Amino acid sequence: MKTKTLIYGLLFVLLNSLAVAQSDYQTVQNFKREYKKIELSIKDVSSLEEFNLIEKNIQNLKNDFASNKTLLDKTLYPENYESALEKIENLFESRKKDFSQINSLTTQVGSLQAQVQELNQNNERLIKQINDLQLQSEKDQAAITKLKGLVAQLKGSINKRDLLVRDLVDSLLVEFIKLPENFNQKEARSIVSKVNKENLFYNIERTIDDNIQFLKVTRITADDYSKIIKQHQDFNKVWKQIGPKLSSVYLTTKQKNSEISQIDSLFEEWNNRIHTSIWNGIQNLFMEKNIHLISFTDASGFITSATTFIDNEIKNIGIKNKNESEEIFHAFADSVYFNIVERKWIPLLFENNMMTQNEKGILDAKIEVWQNEIPPAFSYWAFIIGGIFILLIAVYLYQRKQKE
Amino acid sequence: MKNFILISTLLFVSGCSTLVLQPTDYSWPVESVLLVNAKGDVSEERHTFETNIKPIFYEEFKDSNSVEGKEIRIIRDKAGYYYFTGAGFKNIYQFMPVENGMKLKEKISISDSLALKSPAFNQKLNNIELIDGSDKYLITGSEIARMK
Repeated sequence: MKTKTLIYGLLFVLLNSLAVAQSDYQTVQNFKREYKKIELSIKDVSSLEEFNLIEKNIQNLKNDFASNKTLLDKTLYPENYESALEKIENLFESRKKDFSQINSLTTQVGSLQAQVQELNQNNERLIKQINDLQLQSEKDQAAITKLKGLVAQLKGSINKRDLLVRDLVDSLLVEFIKLPENFNQKEARSIVSKVNKENLFYNIERTIDDNIQFLKVTRITADDYSKIIKQHQDFNKVWKQIGPKLSSVYLTTKQKNSEISQIDSLFEEWNNRIHTSIWNGIQNLFMEKNIHLISFTDASGFITSATTFIDNEIKNIGIKNKNESEEIFHAFADSVYFNIVERKWIPLLFENNMMTQNEKGILDAKIEVWQNEIPPAFSYWAFIIGGIFILLIAVYLYQRKQKE
Repeated sequence: MKNFILISTLLFVSGCSTLVLQPTDYSWPVESVLLVNAKGDVSEERHTFETNIKPIFYEEFKDSNSVEGKEIRIIRDKAGYYYFTGAGFKNIYQFMPVENGMKLKEKISISDSLALKSPAFNQKLNNIELIDGSDKYLITGSEIARMK
């Protein structure tokens, strides 16, 4: 018993002396090493459970080195014991908050993906049906009604899917914002995995492509175009933020880089298609009144086409029947240009820098010249003269009655 | 005349007296463990000084050619003296700063036969502590005392 006590006593003295003979330098190095380990584990955390372990490690670090506070205060320059721990606790809290956000976004994105896929299939089916119906609609009233219904359905469906894809892109953008300027291989890999998981490139390409298809198969009003342009601008803005970052992630992957360029060109094509579609829409308005303008794809083309048409009509005054000339003028100017184009479409053109005030001025002046060239039709004069004649007879009859 | 000479002398003496800033604490809270480069230089970043320690190695081992990669431990005490030692040393070198260099003040012998295995300096209140495994020494000026 005595021997045992003696051994334990000696061991205690030995351990105690070893504990006392601790190098301050070593203590500081140990603290720094533990601190660095925790710091790295915070950065590399991949599940919410790991946060509990890290929290415990921070607490252990605090307890283990509390007795060396004075030494650490002096040696952790420019930090001190308290500020160093505060810093790592803040890092922990902020990472935990980010992680919770990302976690909830990931869940959200999972359900978004399923919806996007469903809508992709839905849109494909609708576009096909619309294309088929376009062929029948010329002669079939029922087909026209069905077509209108399908177009409305497609419009809603495309819009819903676009918003979902935007959410997917936004969620990726959130992760990019959190990345440091010079992200490392691990961080790049995490982005790549997210991009693949969300099938991002395919979904963006699909979104743009469907929008282009929609513009091709449907006729849209000026009000709709405002929304479509805004949608394009918003989506393009987000893509411009994320595109260059994705390029830097895929710096060495040629195929992915070409997909990024492809999406850039698709955005450009979408924009061009919107513009072409707007000009086609304007041309169709004239065509519905049997006014055939030469095709145009921009403001100067529109002015040239319209002035050419007006010049021809002015030349034909006197050759064509007066009524016919006048009817064409009223159809062009009153029914289409002033009533619809100027009121609804030109503000849209101005708003999107597709036409200038000067260009509009040229067309207005031309229409005025045309108006002055049109002789008032006989029917109008006859109507006026007839009116005056009836009035005079009425006055005469009234005076005669008075005399009697 | 006598008063004039006295006042002048007093003024002269007071004008020539040395400006002393006291107390000044030069002590480093913890030793620095530095690696020697091929030139025999060590560079301390926090306290920003750089010096060549080849002469210490020559003095200790009679060899200053194989210093590269060796570790040297340095600490400065409250009074401003620098203490150098390392694994395999039998002495501690106490230096004082001089213009453009350091001058050996004391070579403090720890043991004539046994070399230090894994030495480390600690800053204590007014002294420097040297530990080597379970051995502890207290350096007071040029004196070194083994502690129990």
